[in-house]
Amino acid sequence: MPRGDTMLENRPKPTPVSAANTGGAMVRMQDVAKDFSVRGKETRALQPINLTVNRREFVSLVGPSGCGKSTALNLVAGLLTPTSGQVFYDGQLVQGLNERVGYITQKDTLLPWRTAADNIAVPLELRCRNESRKVIRERVAEMIELVGLRGFDKHYPGELSGGMRKRVALARTLIYEPETLLMDEPFGALDAQLKLLMHDQLQRLTQQRKMTVMFVTHDLAEAIALSDRVVVFSARPGRIRAEREIPLDRPRDVFKVRFADTFSRLHEELWNELKDEVVKGTDV
Amino acid sequence: MASVSINSPVAQSGVRNDEPGALGRAMLTTRGLIISRILFLAAVLLTWEFASGRIISKFWLSTPSAIMQTLWKWLHDGSLWVHLEATLTEMSLGYVIGCVAGVFIGLVLGFLPTVYRVVVPFLGGLYCLPKIALAPLFVILLGIDLGSKVALVAISVFFLILYATLDGIHDIDRDLVQALRIMGATRREIAMKVLIPGCLRWVFTGMRIAVRYAFTAAILGEVIASNRGVGYLIEAFSGQYNSTGVFAAMLVLVACSLTASELLTRWESSATHSKAGV
Ligand SMILES: Nc1ncnc2c1ncn2[C@@H]1O[C@H](COP(=O)(O)OP(=O)(O)O)[C@@H](O)[C@H]1O
Ligand SMILES: [Mg+2]
Repeated sequence: MPRGDTMLENRPKPTPVSAANTGGAMVRMQDVAKDFSVRGKETRALQPINLTVNRREFVSLVGPSGCGKSTALNLVAGLLTPTSGQVFYDGQLVQGLNERVGYITQKDTLLPWRTAADNIAVPLELRCRNESRKVIRERVAEMIELVGLRGFDKHYPGELSGGMRKRVALARTLIYEPETLLMDEPFGALDAQLKLLMHDQLQRLTQQRKMTVMFVTHDLAEAIALSDRVVVFSARPGRIRAEREIPLDRPRDVFKVRFADTFSRLHEELWNELKDEVVKGTDV
Repeated sequence: MASVSINSPVAQSGVRNDEPGALGRAMLTTRGLIISRILFLAAVLLTWEFASGRIISKFWLSTPSAIMQTLWKWLHDGSLWVHLEATLTEMSLGYVIGCVAGVFIGLVLGFLPTVYRVVVPFLGGLYCLPKIALAPLFVILLGIDLGSKVALVAISVFFLILYATLDGIHDIDRDLVQALRIMGATRREIAMKVLIPGCLRWVFTGMRIAVRYAFTAAILGEVIASNRGVGYLIEAFSGQYNSTGVFAAMLVLVACSLTASELLTRWESSATHSKAGV
Protein backbone atom coordinates (compact mmCIF):
# COMPACT_ATOMS: atom_id res chain seq x y z
CA MET A 1 0.00 0.00 0.00
CA PRO A 2 2.10 2.84 -1.25
CA ARG A 3 0.76 5.75 0.70
CA GLY A 4 3.60 7.83 -0.58
CA ASP A 5 1.84 9.22 -3.61
CA THR A 6 0.25 12.09 -1.78
CA MET A 7 3.15 12.54 0.60
CA LEU A 8 5.46 14.13 -1.83
CA GLU A 9 3.17 15.91 -4.20
CA ASN A 10 4.57 19.20 -5.23
CA ARG A 11 3.24 21.66 -2.79
CA PRO A 12 0.93 24.26 -4.23
CA LYS A 13 2.29 27.74 -4.76
CA PRO A 14 1.46 30.01 -1.85
CA THR A 15 -1.72 31.90 -2.55
CA PRO A 16 -1.03 35.49 -3.57
CA VAL A 17 -2.09 38.14 -1.14
CA SER A 18 -5.64 39.37 -0.70
CA ALA A 19 -8.14 40.15 -3.36
CA ALA A 20 -9.76 43.41 -2.40
CA ASN A 21 -13.38 42.41 -2.91
CA THR A 22 -13.54 40.24 0.22
CA GLY A 23 -13.58 43.11 2.69
CA GLY A 24 -12.73 41.86 6.15
CA ALA A 25 -13.30 38.18 5.46
CA MET A 26 -10.29 35.96 6.08
CA VAL A 27 -12.13 32.66 5.83
CA ARG A 28 -15.35 32.26 3.94
CA MET A 29 -17.17 28.96 3.68
CA GLN A 30 -19.90 29.18 1.09
CA ASP A 31 -22.54 26.44 1.06
CA VAL A 32 -19.87 23.99 2.05
CA ALA A 33 -20.95 20.38 2.54
CA LYS A 34 -18.83 17.32 3.07
CA ASP A 35 -19.66 13.64 2.60
CA PHE A 36 -17.42 10.78 3.50
CA SER A 37 -17.73 7.44 1.87
CA VAL A 38 -17.01 4.64 4.27
CA ARG A 39 -16.92 1.19 2.71
CA GLY A 40 -18.94 2.38 -0.25
CA LYS A 41 -21.56 4.09 1.89
CA GLU A 42 -21.84 7.84 1.65
CA THR A 43 -22.40 9.60 4.96
CA ARG A 44 -22.86 13.29 5.35
CA ALA A 45 -20.55 14.87 7.90
CA LEU A 46 -21.37 18.49 7.22
CA GLN A 47 -24.58 19.92 5.80
CA PRO A 48 -24.18 22.97 3.61
CA ILE A 49 -22.92 25.69 5.91
CA ASN A 50 -22.10 29.35 5.45
CA LEU A 51 -19.52 30.73 7.78
CA THR A 52 -17.32 33.79 7.58
CA VAL A 53 -14.42 34.56 9.85
CA ASN A 54 -13.16 38.11 9.66
CA ARG A 55 -9.59 39.22 9.74
CA ARG A 56 -8.32 39.32 13.36
CA GLU A 57 -11.48 37.70 14.61
CA PHE A 58 -11.47 34.88 17.18
CA VAL A 59 -14.29 32.47 16.38
CA SER A 60 -15.09 29.34 18.35
CA LEU A 61 -16.97 26.35 17.02
CA VAL A 62 -18.85 24.31 19.61
CA GLY A 63 -21.14 21.35 19.16
CA PRO A 64 -21.60 17.71 20.07
CA SER A 65 -18.82 15.39 19.04
CA GLY A 66 -19.04 14.04 15.53
CA CYS A 67 -20.89 17.10 14.25
CA GLY A 68 -18.16 18.06 11.81
CA LYS A 69 -16.08 20.66 13.65
CA SER A 70 -12.75 19.01 12.77
CA THR A 71 -14.01 18.48 9.26
CA ALA A 72 -14.66 22.22 8.97
CA LEU A 73 -11.09 23.04 10.03
CA ASN A 74 -9.69 20.41 7.67
CA LEU A 75 -11.57 22.07 4.84
CA VAL A 76 -10.09 25.46 5.70
CA ALA A 77 -6.61 23.94 5.90
CA GLY A 78 -7.12 22.36 2.50
CA LEU A 79 -6.62 18.86 3.87
CA LEU A 80 -10.08 17.98 2.60
CA THR A 81 -11.99 19.25 -0.40
CA PRO A 82 -15.67 20.06 -0.01
CA THR A 83 -18.22 17.76 -1.62
CA SER A 84 -20.10 20.89 -2.65
CA GLY A 85 -19.62 24.59 -2.10
CA GLN A 86 -16.40 26.56 -1.83
CA VAL A 87 -13.93 27.57 0.82
CA PHE A 88 -12.20 30.89 0.34
CA TYR A 89 -9.16 32.03 2.22
CA ASP A 90 -8.33 35.69 1.98
CA GLY A 91 -10.46 35.92 -1.12
CA GLN A 92 -8.81 32.99 -2.87
CA LEU A 93 -10.39 29.62 -3.44
CA VAL A 94 -8.63 27.04 -1.27
CA GLN A 95 -7.14 24.41 -3.57
CA GLY A 96 -4.54 22.12 -2.14
CA LEU A 97 -2.92 22.76 1.19
CA ASN A 98 -3.41 26.15 2.73
CA GLU A 99 0.06 27.08 3.93
CA ARG A 100 -0.99 30.38 5.35
CA VAL A 101 -2.69 28.79 8.33
CA GLY A 102 -1.10 27.20 11.35
CA TYR A 103 -3.05 24.09 12.28
CA ILE A 104 -3.06 22.46 15.69
CA THR A 105 -4.88 19.26 14.85
CA GLN A 106 -6.90 17.20 17.26
CA LYS A 107 -4.51 14.34 16.59
CA ASP A 108 -0.92 14.49 17.68
CA THR A 109 1.49 15.19 14.83
CA LEU A 110 4.75 15.65 16.70
CA LEU A 111 7.77 13.88 15.25
CA PRO A 112 8.38 11.03 17.72
CA TRP A 113 12.14 10.97 17.11
CA ARG A 114 12.65 14.60 18.01
CA THR A 115 12.71 16.10 21.49
CA ALA A 116 10.12 18.67 22.51
CA ALA A 117 12.56 21.50 21.78
CA ASP A 118 13.55 20.06 18.39
CA ASN A 119 9.90 19.59 17.48
CA ILE A 120 9.16 23.20 18.28
CA ALA A 121 12.12 24.21 16.13
CA VAL A 122 10.88 22.39 13.01
CA PRO A 123 8.96 25.26 11.39
CA LEU A 124 11.92 27.61 11.80
CA GLU A 125 14.28 25.11 10.18
CA LEU A 126 12.26 25.10 7.00
CA ARG A 127 13.80 26.89 4.08
CA CYS A 128 10.94 29.33 3.75
CA ARG A 129 11.88 30.80 7.13
CA ASN A 130 15.49 29.87 7.38
CA GLU A 131 16.51 31.29 10.75
CA SER A 132 20.03 31.05 12.18
CA ARG A 133 20.69 28.41 14.82
CA LYS A 134 21.08 30.99 17.52
CA VAL A 135 17.77 32.67 16.75
CA ILE A 136 16.05 29.29 16.64
CA ARG A 137 17.45 28.32 20.01
CA GLU A 138 16.35 31.56 21.63
CA ARG A 139 12.87 31.49 20.15
CA VAL A 140 12.39 27.85 21.14
CA ALA A 141 13.41 28.61 24.71
CA GLU A 142 10.93 31.49 24.75
CA MET A 143 8.12 29.26 23.48
CA ILE A 144 8.91 26.53 25.98
CA GLU A 145 8.61 29.09 28.72
CA LEU A 146 5.40 30.42 27.25
CA VAL A 147 3.63 27.05 27.21
CA GLY A 148 4.95 26.16 30.65
CA LEU A 149 7.19 23.29 29.64
CA ARG A 150 10.46 24.42 31.19
CA GLY A 151 12.58 21.39 32.06
CA PHE A 152 10.83 19.21 29.49
CA ASP A 153 12.62 20.49 26.41
CA LYS A 154 14.83 17.38 26.15
CA HIS A 155 11.93 14.96 26.50
CA TYR A 156 10.65 12.96 23.57
CA PRO A 157 6.91 13.03 22.79
CA GLY A 158 6.62 9.47 24.06
CA GLU A 159 7.78 10.68 27.46
CA LEU A 160 5.24 13.50 27.76
CA SER A 161 1.62 13.44 28.89
CA GLY A 162 -1.19 14.16 26.45
CA GLY A 163 -1.57 17.70 27.75
CA MET A 164 2.14 18.35 27.44
CA ARG A 165 2.22 17.08 23.88
CA LYS A 166 -0.65 19.41 23.02
CA ARG A 167 1.35 22.30 24.44
CA VAL A 168 4.39 21.31 22.40
CA ALA A 169 2.18 21.26 19.31
CA LEU A 170 0.84 24.67 20.29
CA ALA A 171 4.35 26.06 20.71
CA ARG A 172 5.41 24.56 17.40
CA THR A 173 2.62 26.43 15.64
CA LEU A 174 2.83 29.70 17.55
CA ILE A 175 6.58 29.94 17.00
CA TYR A 176 6.23 30.87 13.35
CA GLU A 177 3.30 33.19 13.94
CA PRO A 178 1.02 32.19 11.09
CA GLU A 179 -1.55 34.86 10.27
CA THR A 180 -4.39 32.43 10.96
CA LEU A 181 -4.60 29.76 13.64
CA LEU A 182 -6.80 26.69 13.38
CA MET A 183 -7.02 25.00 16.76
CA ASP A 184 -8.86 21.76 17.33
CA GLU A 185 -9.59 21.15 21.01
CA PRO A 186 -6.09 22.25 21.97
CA PHE A 187 -6.72 22.42 25.71
CA GLY A 188 -9.02 19.42 26.08
CA ALA A 189 -6.41 17.40 27.97
CA LEU A 190 -5.32 20.15 30.37
CA ASP A 191 -6.39 20.61 33.97
CA ALA A 192 -8.55 23.62 34.81
CA GLN A 193 -5.80 25.87 36.20
CA LEU A 194 -3.38 25.25 33.39
CA LYS A 195 -6.15 25.81 30.91
CA LEU A 196 -6.73 29.29 32.32
CA LEU A 197 -3.03 30.10 32.08
CA MET A 198 -3.00 28.95 28.49
CA HIS A 199 -6.09 31.04 27.72
CA ASP A 200 -4.32 34.06 29.06
CA GLN A 201 -1.24 33.43 26.93
CA LEU A 202 -3.27 32.65 23.84
CA GLN A 203 -5.32 35.81 24.16
CA ARG A 204 -2.23 37.93 24.63
CA LEU A 205 -0.45 36.39 21.68
CA THR A 206 -3.33 36.49 19.23
CA GLN A 207 -4.10 40.10 20.14
CA GLN A 208 -0.47 41.13 19.94
CA ARG A 209 0.18 39.39 16.62
CA LYS A 210 -3.20 40.34 15.17
CA MET A 211 -4.05 36.74 14.37
CA THR A 212 -7.28 35.31 13.02
CA VAL A 213 -8.38 32.22 14.96
CA MET A 214 -10.81 29.36 14.41
CA PHE A 215 -11.04 27.50 17.67
CA VAL A 216 -12.85 24.19 18.16
CA THR A 217 -13.80 23.20 21.68
CA HIS A 218 -16.44 21.30 23.61
CA ASP A 219 -16.03 23.65 26.57
CA LEU A 220 -18.61 26.40 26.22
CA ALA A 221 -17.11 28.58 28.96
CA GLU A 222 -13.74 28.42 27.23
CA ALA A 223 -15.35 29.42 23.94
CA ILE A 224 -17.08 32.44 25.48
CA ALA A 225 -14.04 33.58 27.44
CA LEU A 226 -11.78 33.58 24.39
CA SER A 227 -13.96 34.45 21.43
CA ASP A 228 -15.38 37.39 19.59
CA ARG A 229 -18.05 35.09 18.23
CA VAL A 230 -19.28 31.61 19.13
CA VAL A 231 -20.82 29.32 16.53
CA VAL A 232 -23.00 26.44 17.74
CA PHE A 233 -23.19 23.41 15.50
CA SER A 234 -26.12 21.01 15.45
CA ALA A 235 -25.69 17.28 15.97
CA ARG A 236 -24.44 15.18 13.08
CA PRO A 237 -24.63 15.97 10.25
CA GLY A 238 -23.53 19.39 11.34
CA ARG A 239 -25.11 22.65 10.36
CA ILE A 240 -24.90 26.00 12.11
CA ARG A 241 -27.61 26.21 14.73
CA ALA A 242 -26.73 29.54 16.33
CA GLU A 243 -24.16 32.27 16.17
CA ARG A 244 -23.53 34.77 18.93
CA GLU A 245 -21.27 37.79 19.17
CA ILE A 246 -19.46 37.99 22.51
CA PRO A 247 -19.52 41.63 23.55
CA LEU A 248 -16.90 41.41 26.24
CA ASP A 249 -14.16 44.03 26.22
CA ARG A 250 -10.60 43.27 25.25
CA PRO A 251 -8.17 42.64 26.72
CA ARG A 252 -10.08 40.29 28.94
CA ASP A 253 -9.02 38.98 32.28
CA VAL A 254 -9.59 35.31 31.55
CA PHE A 255 -9.54 34.52 35.27
CA LYS A 256 -12.29 36.95 36.18
CA VAL A 257 -14.32 37.21 33.02
CA ARG A 258 -16.44 34.20 33.90
CA PHE A 259 -17.84 35.95 36.96
CA ALA A 260 -19.23 38.83 34.91
CA ASP A 261 -23.01 39.01 34.49
CA THR A 262 -22.75 39.21 30.73
CA PHE A 263 -20.74 36.03 30.77
CA SER A 264 -23.32 33.98 32.66
CA ARG A 265 -26.12 35.35 30.50
CA LEU A 266 -24.26 34.38 27.34
CA HIS A 267 -23.44 31.03 28.80
CA GLU A 268 -27.05 30.28 29.59
CA GLU A 269 -28.24 31.49 26.21
CA LEU A 270 -25.72 29.39 24.29
CA TRP A 271 -26.12 26.40 26.52
CA ASN A 272 -29.84 26.38 25.71
CA GLU A 273 -28.93 26.08 22.06
CA LEU A 274 -26.27 23.52 22.66
CA LYS A 275 -27.92 21.17 25.13
CA ASP A 276 -30.64 19.90 22.75
CA GLU A 277 -27.96 19.09 20.24
CA VAL A 278 -25.80 17.35 22.80
CA VAL A 279 -28.78 15.21 23.79
CA LYS A 280 -29.45 14.42 20.14
CA GLY A 281 -25.79 13.82 19.53
CA THR A 282 -25.34 11.32 22.32
CA ASP A 283 -28.20 8.98 21.46
CA VAL A 284 -26.82 8.38 17.99
CA MET B 1 13.66 -4.60 19.19
CA ALA B 2 16.13 -4.43 21.98
CA SER B 3 16.17 -0.64 22.08
CA VAL B 4 12.58 -0.55 23.24
CA SER B 5 13.51 -1.74 26.70
CA ILE B 6 15.39 1.52 27.21
CA ASN B 7 12.02 3.22 27.38
CA SER B 8 10.64 1.07 30.12
CA PRO B 9 9.92 2.97 33.33
CA VAL B 10 12.12 0.46 35.11
CA ALA B 11 15.17 1.53 33.15
CA GLN B 12 14.36 5.21 33.61
CA SER B 13 14.02 5.01 37.36
CA GLY B 14 17.49 3.55 37.49
CA VAL B 15 16.52 0.17 38.86
CA ARG B 16 18.23 -2.26 36.55
CA ASN B 17 16.37 -5.45 36.02
CA ASP B 18 17.25 -7.81 33.25
CA GLU B 19 14.36 -8.94 31.05
CA PRO B 20 11.16 -8.69 33.04
CA GLY B 21 9.89 -11.85 31.27
CA ALA B 22 6.31 -12.99 30.94
CA LEU B 23 6.23 -14.50 34.40
CA GLY B 24 7.19 -11.32 36.18
CA ARG B 25 10.45 -9.57 36.91
CA ALA B 26 13.64 -11.55 37.14
CA MET B 27 14.48 -12.04 40.80
CA LEU B 28 18.27 -11.78 40.34
CA THR B 29 20.68 -8.93 40.73
CA THR B 30 23.11 -8.35 37.90
CA ARG B 31 25.91 -10.08 39.77
CA GLY B 32 23.70 -12.98 40.75
CA LEU B 33 22.69 -13.32 37.14
CA ILE B 34 26.27 -13.47 35.87
CA ILE B 35 27.18 -16.05 38.49
CA SER B 36 24.13 -18.13 37.64
CA ARG B 37 25.00 -18.02 33.97
CA ILE B 38 28.55 -19.16 34.64
CA LEU B 39 27.26 -21.99 36.78
CA PHE B 40 24.83 -23.01 34.07
CA LEU B 41 27.57 -23.06 31.44
CA ALA B 42 29.86 -25.03 33.74
CA ALA B 43 27.13 -27.58 34.39
CA VAL B 44 26.51 -28.08 30.68
CA LEU B 45 30.23 -28.40 29.89
CA LEU B 46 30.85 -30.81 32.75
CA THR B 47 27.90 -32.97 31.78
CA TRP B 48 29.16 -33.00 28.22
CA GLU B 49 32.70 -33.86 29.30
CA PHE B 50 31.39 -36.62 31.54
CA ALA B 51 28.85 -38.10 29.13
CA SER B 52 31.27 -38.15 26.25
CA GLY B 53 33.01 -41.51 26.05
CA ARG B 54 30.79 -42.96 28.78
CA ILE B 55 27.26 -42.64 27.41
CA ILE B 56 27.92 -41.59 23.83
CA SER B 57 31.08 -42.22 21.87
CA LYS B 58 33.72 -39.49 21.82
CA PHE B 59 33.87 -40.00 18.11
CA TRP B 60 30.46 -38.36 17.62
CA LEU B 61 30.32 -35.93 20.48
CA SER B 62 33.95 -34.95 21.10
CA THR B 63 34.63 -33.25 24.47
CA PRO B 64 34.79 -29.61 25.53
CA SER B 65 38.42 -30.02 26.54
CA ALA B 66 39.39 -31.45 23.16
CA ILE B 67 37.54 -28.65 21.40
CA MET B 68 39.33 -26.02 23.47
CA GLN B 69 42.67 -27.67 22.74
CA THR B 70 41.97 -27.64 19.03
CA LEU B 71 40.92 -24.01 19.13
CA TRP B 72 44.02 -23.13 21.11
CA LYS B 73 46.19 -24.89 18.55
CA TRP B 74 44.51 -23.04 15.64
CA LEU B 75 45.01 -19.72 17.32
CA HIS B 76 48.57 -20.60 18.22
CA ASP B 77 49.82 -21.82 14.89
CA GLY B 78 47.74 -19.21 13.06
CA SER B 79 45.98 -21.73 10.81
CA LEU B 80 42.62 -20.25 11.80
CA TRP B 81 43.35 -16.79 10.44
CA VAL B 82 43.28 -17.56 6.76
CA HIS B 83 39.85 -19.15 7.14
CA LEU B 84 38.47 -16.52 9.48
CA GLU B 85 39.75 -13.79 7.22
CA ALA B 86 38.11 -15.35 4.17
CA THR B 87 34.74 -15.70 5.90
CA LEU B 88 34.82 -12.24 7.43
CA THR B 89 35.83 -10.63 4.15
CA GLU B 90 33.04 -12.33 2.21
CA MET B 91 30.54 -11.54 4.85
CA SER B 92 31.45 -7.91 5.47
CA LEU B 93 31.82 -7.02 1.80
CA GLY B 94 28.51 -8.65 0.96
CA TYR B 95 26.87 -7.11 3.99
CA VAL B 96 27.95 -3.57 3.16
CA ILE B 97 27.00 -3.92 -0.50
CA GLY B 98 23.62 -5.42 0.44
CA CYS B 99 22.85 -2.75 3.04
CA VAL B 100 23.81 0.21 0.88
CA ALA B 101 21.90 -1.11 -2.12
CA GLY B 102 18.91 -2.08 0.02
CA VAL B 103 18.58 1.30 1.70
CA PHE B 104 19.17 3.15 -1.54
CA ILE B 105 16.66 1.20 -3.62
CA GLY B 106 14.25 1.20 -0.68
CA LEU B 107 14.32 5.00 -0.44
CA VAL B 108 14.04 5.43 -4.18
CA LEU B 109 11.00 3.13 -4.32
CA GLY B 110 9.55 4.79 -1.25
CA PHE B 111 9.77 8.16 -2.94
CA LEU B 112 8.48 6.91 -6.29
CA PRO B 113 5.26 5.08 -5.44
CA THR B 114 4.33 4.51 -9.06
CA VAL B 115 7.58 2.72 -9.82
CA TYR B 116 7.09 0.79 -6.59
CA ARG B 117 3.67 -0.36 -7.68
CA VAL B 118 5.07 -1.59 -11.00
CA VAL B 119 7.97 -3.59 -9.58
CA VAL B 120 6.46 -4.86 -6.33
CA PRO B 121 5.30 -8.29 -7.59
CA PHE B 122 8.72 -8.98 -9.08
CA LEU B 123 10.49 -7.99 -5.90
CA GLY B 124 8.08 -10.18 -3.96
CA GLY B 125 8.89 -13.13 -6.18
CA LEU B 126 12.63 -12.71 -5.75
CA TYR B 127 12.22 -12.15 -2.03
CA CYS B 128 10.40 -15.46 -1.63
CA LEU B 129 13.10 -17.36 -3.49
CA PRO B 130 15.44 -19.02 -0.99
CA LYS B 131 18.67 -17.21 -1.79
CA ILE B 132 20.68 -20.37 -1.31
CA ALA B 133 19.14 -21.65 -4.55
CA LEU B 134 21.20 -18.98 -6.29
CA ALA B 135 24.48 -20.30 -4.92
CA PRO B 136 25.24 -22.74 -7.77
CA LEU B 137 24.48 -19.99 -10.27
CA PHE B 138 26.90 -17.63 -8.57
CA VAL B 139 29.56 -20.33 -8.55
CA ILE B 140 29.16 -20.75 -12.31
CA LEU B 141 29.18 -17.00 -12.89
CA LEU B 142 31.80 -15.90 -10.38
CA GLY B 143 33.89 -18.94 -9.53
CA ILE B 144 34.52 -20.58 -6.18
CA ASP B 145 36.49 -17.71 -4.70
CA LEU B 146 35.45 -14.50 -3.01
CA GLY B 147 33.06 -13.23 -5.67
CA SER B 148 30.38 -15.88 -5.49
CA LYS B 149 30.15 -15.71 -1.68
CA VAL B 150 30.02 -11.93 -1.64
CA ALA B 151 27.21 -12.04 -4.17
CA LEU B 152 25.30 -14.59 -2.13
CA VAL B 153 25.67 -12.59 1.08
CA ALA B 154 24.82 -9.31 -0.66
CA ILE B 155 21.64 -10.63 -2.23
CA SER B 156 20.43 -12.13 1.07
CA VAL B 157 21.10 -8.91 2.95
CA PHE B 158 19.75 -6.71 0.17
CA PHE B 159 16.19 -7.99 0.25
CA LEU B 160 15.99 -7.88 4.01
CA ILE B 161 17.13 -4.27 4.13
CA LEU B 162 15.03 -3.29 1.13
CA TYR B 163 11.86 -4.52 2.81
CA ALA B 164 12.84 -3.02 6.16
CA THR B 165 13.28 0.37 4.49
CA LEU B 166 10.00 0.11 2.58
CA ASP B 167 8.12 -1.01 5.70
CA GLY B 168 9.63 1.91 7.57
CA ILE B 169 8.50 4.40 4.95
CA HIS B 170 5.02 2.92 4.73
CA ASP B 171 4.73 2.94 8.48
CA ILE B 172 5.21 6.69 8.68
CA ASP B 173 2.09 8.52 9.71
CA ARG B 174 0.78 10.51 6.75
CA ASP B 175 -0.47 13.15 9.15
CA LEU B 176 3.13 13.98 10.09
CA VAL B 177 3.83 14.67 6.44
CA GLN B 178 0.76 16.85 6.11
CA ALA B 179 1.58 18.75 9.29
CA LEU B 180 4.97 19.66 7.84
CA ARG B 181 3.55 20.50 4.47
CA ILE B 182 1.14 22.98 6.05
CA MET B 183 4.16 24.59 7.68
CA GLY B 184 5.59 25.05 4.22
CA ALA B 185 8.05 22.14 3.96
CA THR B 186 9.36 21.27 0.51
CA ARG B 187 9.58 17.72 -0.88
CA ARG B 188 13.20 17.60 0.08
CA GLU B 189 12.51 18.82 3.59
CA ILE B 190 9.77 16.22 4.02
CA ALA B 191 12.23 13.55 2.94
CA MET B 192 14.99 14.75 5.24
CA LYS B 193 12.88 15.53 8.29
CA VAL B 194 10.15 12.88 8.16
CA LEU B 195 10.71 10.02 5.75
CA ILE B 196 14.37 9.25 6.41
CA PRO B 197 14.41 9.65 10.21
CA GLY B 198 11.08 7.83 10.32
CA CYS B 199 12.42 4.70 8.67
CA LEU B 200 15.84 4.74 10.37
CA ARG B 201 14.72 2.52 13.21
CA TRP B 202 13.36 -0.07 10.81
CA VAL B 203 16.58 0.01 8.81
CA PHE B 204 18.67 -0.58 11.93
CA THR B 205 16.47 -3.44 13.03
CA GLY B 206 16.82 -4.91 9.55
CA MET B 207 20.58 -4.46 9.66
CA ARG B 208 20.84 -6.28 12.96
CA ILE B 209 18.84 -9.21 11.71
CA ALA B 210 20.81 -9.16 8.47
CA VAL B 211 24.08 -9.91 10.31
CA ARG B 212 22.85 -13.42 10.96
CA TYR B 213 21.65 -13.82 7.40
CA ALA B 214 25.02 -12.62 6.13
CA PHE B 215 26.83 -15.23 8.19
CA THR B 216 24.49 -17.97 7.13
CA ALA B 217 24.92 -17.05 3.47
CA ALA B 218 28.73 -16.85 3.72
CA ILE B 219 28.97 -20.21 5.50
CA LEU B 220 26.53 -21.94 3.16
CA GLY B 221 28.40 -20.53 0.19
CA GLU B 222 31.61 -22.01 1.57
CA VAL B 223 30.05 -25.34 2.42
CA ILE B 224 28.76 -25.64 -1.15
CA ALA B 225 31.99 -24.83 -2.94
CA SER B 226 35.19 -23.32 -1.65
CA ASN B 227 38.77 -23.93 -0.58
CA ARG B 228 38.90 -21.76 2.51
CA GLY B 229 36.72 -20.16 5.17
CA VAL B 230 35.12 -21.32 8.39
CA GLY B 231 32.33 -23.00 6.43
CA TYR B 232 34.97 -24.84 4.45
CA LEU B 233 36.55 -25.97 7.73
CA ILE B 234 33.24 -27.37 8.94
CA GLU B 235 32.66 -29.11 5.64
CA ALA B 236 36.20 -30.49 5.49
CA PHE B 237 36.21 -31.76 9.10
CA SER B 238 32.84 -33.38 8.81
CA GLY B 239 34.10 -35.07 5.67
CA GLN B 240 36.84 -36.54 7.84
CA TYR B 241 34.36 -37.40 10.65
CA ASN B 242 36.38 -35.09 12.89
CA SER B 243 33.68 -33.90 15.29
CA THR B 244 36.15 -31.94 17.42
CA GLY B 245 37.13 -29.83 14.42
CA VAL B 246 33.51 -29.25 13.47
CA PHE B 247 32.62 -28.09 16.96
CA ALA B 248 35.67 -25.85 17.19
CA ALA B 249 34.81 -24.19 13.89
CA MET B 250 31.22 -23.73 15.02
CA LEU B 251 32.42 -22.05 18.18
CA VAL B 252 34.40 -19.59 16.09
CA LEU B 253 31.21 -18.81 14.16
CA VAL B 254 29.16 -18.21 17.28
CA ALA B 255 31.81 -15.84 18.59
CA CYS B 256 31.91 -13.85 15.34
CA SER B 257 28.15 -13.63 15.01
CA LEU B 258 27.67 -12.49 18.61
CA THR B 259 30.40 -9.87 18.29
CA ALA B 260 28.98 -8.44 15.09
CA SER B 261 25.46 -8.36 16.45
CA GLU B 262 26.60 -6.66 19.65
CA LEU B 263 28.65 -4.04 17.81
CA LEU B 264 25.67 -3.19 15.66
CA THR B 265 23.36 -2.86 18.65
CA ARG B 266 25.77 -0.40 20.23
CA TRP B 267 26.11 1.57 17.04
CA GLU B 268 22.36 1.66 16.64
CA SER B 269 21.66 3.00 20.09
CA SER B 270 24.26 5.70 19.71
CA ALA B 271 23.16 6.63 16.18
CA THR B 272 19.42 6.87 16.77
CA HIS B 273 17.64 8.54 19.62
CA SER B 274 16.94 5.40 21.52
CA LYS B 275 14.51 7.23 23.76
CA ALA B 276 12.17 8.34 21.03
CA GLY B 277 9.78 5.60 22.01
CA VAL B 278 8.87 4.43 18.55
N1 LIG C 1 -11.83 10.61 7.23
C1 LIG C 1 -13.11 10.31 7.53
N2 LIG C 1 -13.69 9.25 6.93
C2 LIG C 1 -14.97 8.95 7.20
N3 LIG C 1 -15.75 9.61 8.06
C3 LIG C 1 -15.22 10.67 8.69
C4 LIG C 1 -13.87 11.07 8.46
N4 LIG C 1 -13.62 12.15 9.22
C5 LIG C 1 -14.75 12.40 9.89
N5 LIG C 1 -15.71 11.52 9.58
C6 LIG C 1 -17.10 11.53 10.10
O1 LIG C 1 -17.60 12.81 9.95
C7 LIG C 1 -18.32 13.23 11.09
C8 LIG C 1 -17.73 14.50 11.65
O2 LIG C 1 -16.44 14.24 12.17
P1 LIG C 1 -15.55 15.35 12.87
O3 LIG C 1 -15.44 16.51 11.96
O4 LIG C 1 -14.29 14.70 13.27
O5 LIG C 1 -16.43 15.71 14.13
P2 LIG C 1 -16.03 16.58 15.41
O6 LIG C 1 -14.67 17.12 15.23
O7 LIG C 1 -17.09 17.63 15.46
O8 LIG C 1 -16.12 15.68 16.58
C9 LIG C 1 -18.24 12.08 12.07
O9 LIG C 1 -19.45 11.39 12.01
C10 LIG C 1 -17.12 11.23 11.58
O10 LIG C 1 -17.40 9.89 11.83
MG1 LIG D 1 -13.01 16.70 16.27
